[in-house]
Amino acid sequence: MAAGYSRRAFLSLGAAVASGAVLSACGGGSASSGGSGKLKFWDMPWGQANFTTAAQKLTEAYQPANGLPGASYQTIQWANFTQTFASAIASRTGPAVSTGGGFQAFQYAEQGAIAYADTLINQFKQDGTYDDFLPGQVEAMKTDRGYAAVPWLLDFRVWWCRKSLLDEAGAKVPTNWDELLTACKALAAKGLYGYGTGAGAGNFVGNQGLHLMMINNGGGLFDADGKVDVVTPANIEAMTFVQELVKIKAVDPASVSYTADNVLTQWKSKKFAMGITTAGLDADAGETDGDLQVMSPLTGPGGQKGGLVFQNNIMMYANTPSQEGSEAFLSYYIKNMKTLWQQNVVPGLPILKSIIALPEFQAQKQKAKIIAEWQPVAKTFAAQSTKLFGSLAAVDASQPLVQFAQSILSGSDPKASLTTLQSTLQAIVK
Amino acid sequence: MTLTIPATTTLAEPKRRPFSRAKLTLLILVAPSVVLLILINAYPLVYAAWQSVHDGSLISTGDLVGLSNYTDTLTDPAFWRAVEFTAIFTVVGVFGSWAVGMGLALLLRTRTPGRGVFKVLLLLPWVVPIVVSSTAWNWLVATPQSPLPSLAHALGFGTPLFLADPTLAKITVCVFKVWVSFPFMMMMTSAALSSVDDSVYEASSMDGATRWQQFTRITLPMISRSTYISWILMTIFCVNDFPTIFLLTGGGPIDATTSLVVLSYRTVFQNFQVGPGVAIAFLMTVTLVIVSVLLYRQIRRAHV
Repeated sequence: MAAGYSRRAFLSLGAAVASGAVLSACGGGSASSGGSGKLKFWDMPWGQANFTTAAQKLTEAYQPANGLPGASYQTIQWANFTQTFASAIASRTGPAVSTGGGFQAFQYAEQGAIAYADTLINQFKQDGTYDDFLPGQVEAMKTDRGYAAVPWLLDFRVWWCRKSLLDEAGAKVPTNWDELLTACKALAAKGLYGYGTGAGAGNFVGNQGLHLMMINNGGGLFDADGKVDVVTPANIEAMTFVQELVKIKAVDPASVSYTADNVLTQWKSKKFAMGITTAGLDADAGETDGDLQVMSPLTGPGGQKGGLVFQNNIMMYANTPSQEGSEAFLSYYIKNMKTLWQQNVVPGLPILKSIIALPEFQAQKQKAKIIAEWQPVAKTFAAQSTKLFGSLAAVDASQPLVQFAQSILSGSDPKASLTTLQSTLQAIVK
Repeated sequence: MTLTIPATTTLAEPKRRPFSRAKLTLLILVAPSVVLLILINAYPLVYAAWQSVHDGSLISTGDLVGLSNYTDTLTDPAFWRAVEFTAIFTVVGVFGSWAVGMGLALLLRTRTPGRGVFKVLLLLPWVVPIVVSSTAWNWLVATPQSPLPSLAHALGFGTPLFLADPTLAKITVCVFKVWVSFPFMMMMTSAALSSVDDSVYEASSMDGATRWQQFTRITLPMISRSTYISWILMTIFCVNDFPTIFLLTGGGPIDATTSLVVLSYRTVFQNFQVGPGVAIAFLMTVTLVIVSVLLYRQIRRAHV
């Protein structure tokens, strides 16, 4: 060869490169260390960019005890996060510790990928941290085999209203379903919507709102044993009530296709006067003048109150370079995460009483109201079941729920829609 | 002097050896590519086939269930609704974009000033990332106050719910697909048209052929090979098109715009039913291969 390479040398080089590629492709997964022997902590973007910056700073400030690994920070985007985690865990290249979907820990615990947090919870019980959690929140993480995760953030679905529009329509802020119906009629007469929601592409608040209405009426998607139990008198009554709202034009007819952005647009353009959405509506809309207000939990026809809360949690994985190291880091994160609320970079609500008591948090009146009024009556996505379980990950954001929400909001028969939901959910939950 | 050649004499052929040095060299050279192809294509395909006959999760294979994932899929009404919409979406996507692309390619053949600028502008729907264009379309049609519903209302057509009404949502998604895809068809057709000699048209004009006759008897046959290739490619693009549908409607409302690829994705990654989801993907793949083979046969028959 002109360049001085013999054919044999060239072939050897090619074979070496190919072998290298094959060997690296076939190489086994490494333990979850993020380089330099650090634990990999994967975190979701729980707020804007300033959240990620603050959470990364908090992680990098971690000083492990002698012999334990430090921690590296990695943000995982919500888009396709299930694939990201699944492929990483399957290839044993996933994190040692992570936040994630609300039921991800339970899902992976059933598949043997989670390291239970019992030792850490026992430490919390000894050092008093356990008592700092809001009542029942840690125990909600308990499965038959142990604590699947440690909760750190509460994500509520609550009723909001725009006070100025209610005043304009001559309606008062409702406190029960009858008053809600009356207010919606008054708003509809003005061309405004009293049940603002959306069930379009990637928007699950629509079905979560319907679930809230079921829970508000003493129902929900699951019975006390965690079995799918949808076609119940309480649920039929709740969905029939929503149908009534659809009939009186309290629901925007385009809601079935609204993305989260479309819903926010309708709130900002003052077409939605009331509706069920997340705790951060006022911040998302860029309005802090008090016109957007969190309503008190409504009293249902049977006298019940109810809300819907997702307990976001931090989980540890079985594939870790050091289980003791994972526990030490998670303990550090929980005990120091108040800085995220002090900097006001988390739209979600705190789970520790000490953070709730912070003046920075109490200054956010709508969020403080949610903790004060909604937290005591809220139920988890498991509804009447007191335990969370892996199947919830498949039900939450599943297609049957999206289709159900679109059917109800389009005016379909409630009982028929619930019956279809029962059969389709049963096919998913095994 | 005469030269006699024995009748039995033949030219000596080099002795064939099964593995000459040259062949061995070629085999070794091609081996890395073959290994890579196997790793990239065959391994996932075989693994997916394995998953489709198991009842597994995203991180484990699960139990062998035979062909039950396939039988369940083929007896599921949601699957057949997705087949129906995929067929509509593909037919409209392929022939709609071809018709628009062909029309524009013919228009751009005329020597008009600024033709190059128009060509670039017309390529924009294809060039712009689908996330951006779907967001723009959502802004155009999503709410009753959006520009297109407002315009329709002003013109006395009521307030159409372009994405919330099942029929209108199907139409909107198909039109969006045509809008995104026509530049590709326009480029393919423009390239094919440039290879047709002007003298053919001149001769046919002298013979008294009309414009329509020139189009149907000269243009279409002479670009048929390119047309079939573009149809095959666009069929594959349409059947496999996930973002166009998922970003605009998510497959709704009430499954109205759920195509097979969207159904497969949702089954695997939202319902966590890996086996049935992969079975749907396999059925799609088989169908696509059959359609592609049929269209390739047409190419062979096509006039060059």
